[in-house]
Amino acid sequence: MGGIPTSSMSDVAFLLLVFFLSTTKFDIKKGLGIVLPPASTKADKRVKLKDENITKVLINKEGEILLKTKDSEEQISMAKLKSRIRTLVKNNPDMVISLKTDRKSKYKYMVMVLDRLQAAGAEKISLSTN
Amino acid sequence: MAKFVKKNKPESAIPTASMSDIAFLLLLFFMVSTVFVKERGLKVTMPRAESIQKIPRNHSATIYVNSAGTISIDDFPVEIPQIAGIMNSKLAEDFNLITCFRTDQNTSYGIMSDILNQLREAECLRVSFEAKLKR
Repeated sequence: MGGIPTSSMSDVAFLLLVFFLSTTKFDIKKGLGIVLPPASTKADKRVKLKDENITKVLINKEGEILLKTKDSEEQISMAKLKSRIRTLVKNNPDMVISLKTDRKSKYKYMVMVLDRLQAAGAEKISLSTN
Repeated sequence: MAKFVKKNKPESAIPTASMSDIAFLLLLFFMVSTVFVKERGLKVTMPRAESIQKIPRNHSATIYVNSAGTISIDDFPVEIPQIAGIMNSKLAEDFNLITCFRTDQNTSYGIMSDILNQLREAECLRVSFEAKLKR
């Protein structure tokens, strides 16, 4: 008989399958997207915003958050931030959230706050530092 | 006396003829979906977040920043002032480039801020902060 033996074909296939199963690593990238403003220093490209359209969120090096609007200033916990921002954005769709993080603050605090801002539906977010 | 022919019992064997087909199908799937990691990067513990979105892999460039503040692009350690030049050349290759940050959660934000300023200079304005899904 001159045929190729096919009985061990599945063995070979399964062996290869096991190899690929064990080596495959699904590396799906996931993250918080944001678009940066261009590095323009020209005065004519700068947009002056009204004070009532700006909410400042400040993070210090200990990770404490200060929420500053036109007429109020309060220290807020991470848990309450989302609902607070949600109401602010709901009341004023033009609201720009300025996220200012201390240079010595940990990166995770900034990501946590940014996550909550995006979860609260804030679309206009600006990142800055002192 | 009439003879009753005993009915044959149904076969209980699992058909193995199509086994290799199934195996090859699975094999093909894994072969196609396997991505061999191109870069080693740095050891980082990424922060966790809820509202994360998928980043298209084919348009992404990754910047690694570990907790000590070491920055790596394409497995080469880089200094902050070099980033603008590197990213500018990457942007020239792919106009839809998204810069992904794989930054350790304990890195100080000052370094990130400096890198972001470099990216703004390089006109790489689409940025994504990679995070793991919070469960």
